[in-house]
Amino acid sequence: MVTLLPRLRGYLFTVIGIAVGVAGLVALGAMSERIVRFIEGGDRFVLGQISVAGRGMGMGTGFTGGGLLPAATLRAVADVPGVEGVQAQVMLPLNPTTSQFMTLTQELVMGMDLSVPSPNRHYRTLPIRSGRFLREGDRRVAVVGASFAASHGIDAGSRLALEGQDYEVVGVLERMLTAPDRFVIVPIADAREQWVTKDPMLRTLLASGGVALTASDLNTGAAVGWRNGEDPDAVALRIRERVPAVNVQIPSELSRLLRSSTAFFAALTIGISALGLTIGGLSLANTVAAAVFERIRDFGVKRALGATDLQLGREVLGEALGVTLSGGIAGIVVALGLGFGIDAWAARSGQQLFFFSARLLTGALAFSLLLGAASATYATLRVVRLSPAEAIRRGG
Amino acid sequence: MLRAEGIVKTYRGPSAPIPVLAGVDFGVGAGEFTVIAGPSGSGKSTLLNVLGLLEDADGGTVWFRDVAVTALSRSDKGRHRGRFVGFVFQAFLLLPSLTALDNVLLAGRYVGAVKGEGRRRALMLLEQFGMGERGAHYPRELSGGEQQRVAFCRAIFNDPPLILADEPTGNLDDDNGALILKALRARAQAGGAVVVVTHRTDVIAGADAVYALENGRLRRS
Repeated sequence: MVTLLPRLRGYLFTVIGIAVGVAGLVALGAMSERIVRFIEGGDRFVLGQISVAGRGMGMGTGFTGGGLLPAATLRAVADVPGVEGVQAQVMLPLNPTTSQFMTLTQELVMGMDLSVPSPNRHYRTLPIRSGRFLREGDRRVAVVGASFAASHGIDAGSRLALEGQDYEVVGVLERMLTAPDRFVIVPIADAREQWVTKDPMLRTLLASGGVALTASDLNTGAAVGWRNGEDPDAVALRIRERVPAVNVQIPSELSRLLRSSTAFFAALTIGISALGLTIGGLSLANTVAAAVFERIRDFGVKRALGATDLQLGREVLGEALGVTLSGGIAGIVVALGLGFGIDAWAARSGQQLFFFSARLLTGALAFSLLLGAASATYATLRVVRLSPAEAIRRGG
Repeated sequence: MLRAEGIVKTYRGPSAPIPVLAGVDFGVGAGEFTVIAGPSGSGKSTLLNVLGLLEDADGGTVWFRDVAVTALSRSDKGRHRGRFVGFVFQAFLLLPSLTALDNVLLAGRYVGAVKGEGRRRALMLLEQFGMGERGAHYPRELSGGEQQRVAFCRAIFNDPPLILADEPTGNLDDDNGALILKALRARAQAGGAVVVVTHRTDVIAGADAVYALENGRLRRS
């Protein structure tokens, strides 16, 4: 250690060079991871349930189809063989201006029927960061997603006005890096009231008394579960066959649809990752190789003193790994600092640009070490091909 | 101890090959202080490099104690250098990232010197050459004369029977030059073989044998 420290001091610029490369690699990788989490989160959600909506022509909100899904239809869905659990839901845009529709960052109000456990196999409960989740019998309370909380500056205990009504925020979800981050989750009865307030046509229809509707008929969709051992696609097709006037999303089809609609982001992810690997990798390989070539005279002297190729190779490789590890760790620290700093700023508008997963950090470090070792080996092989005298001459 | 026969070396030039050594025969025995003189560019350093296996000749053979060392593998050549040859260079060639003490100890690293013993010997050598207080200093903190004294300690650390010195006083003032020459002569008097390449007349004086290298050939003067 005593002799390693001065040597590492001699490698300061190399360590800085490697740190810059690794920081670039990790930062770009973290942006890519963020996008992957968003896509995977959506995929995980749609594969965990069968989404059923009322058939209609209205603009889709979230996973619904825009039409009404009356209570009788929900009962019919529940009676389909293979179905286990039907949870009525109301999904509404928080801000129903056209510019907010169909964006990946749309803020949604989601009303949940809390008398039924969540049928979504991947989200039996949503993770709570502070406060609590909704309970059956709650009214005028809300649980908000992490991005929503950040962008609106609210936490558990805050007040929130929705359609002119005052709500108490009783909980904030953990950041999930996908759609629920922007949700305001309320009891379904509250969401139904908001829907009626928001939608003049529905209000007119109800006031006319021309249709026989009760509050329990006001659902935009339902999350439907399936019994153990059942094929979810088969159950979804069965619902489609047996229950009229519903839009049924086949989980695997919806997953494909989601993936194709996010194909741009998937391509972006690959592009960013490739860019990170190329820029970071080239920078690192170049820095390590240059550090070895810079010391060509030292290697000539060592060989004059009796170092064999193997001894020299081992020594260079050991030093290169030490330097790469130091640079790699420094680069990760720089990337984390930058990422958290930028995210702290972006959080004010509810955004998160980076996600530093464990697999990214360990992968980046392993990649750095491998590339550092490979570059050092390549450079050493080039150096030891020279005679000691030639190495001393060239290094002079 | 060291014998060379028919050493040929030609460098590639930009337009034509440059012959440097054209069949050189040379020998030095134990206890001899031998000087190879010649003008700059005559090939003195090249000859010394070939004798010390720092570079390969195009032809000819070098024997060390009747072993044809030019035929050894690259690794064995390295082991031979570490065990049997001490080099002193005009430019000192200390490693800038190591202290004076560590530079001396470096000579022991590749021949399996025992750590504790090596450190004691290195400190003793530095003390002997008036560098006892400078062991923790880096080369950039030492004068040219001090650096050469450290380099000399490094060259004799493994107590090699053969010392090859390339213009060892070339970058030194008179006092330091005299000190290094005295040390080289002392090695020869102690039974070692010392070969010094130089163009300085003060080095030639007192040599057991003096050779002149001209037009690629070695001539005893």
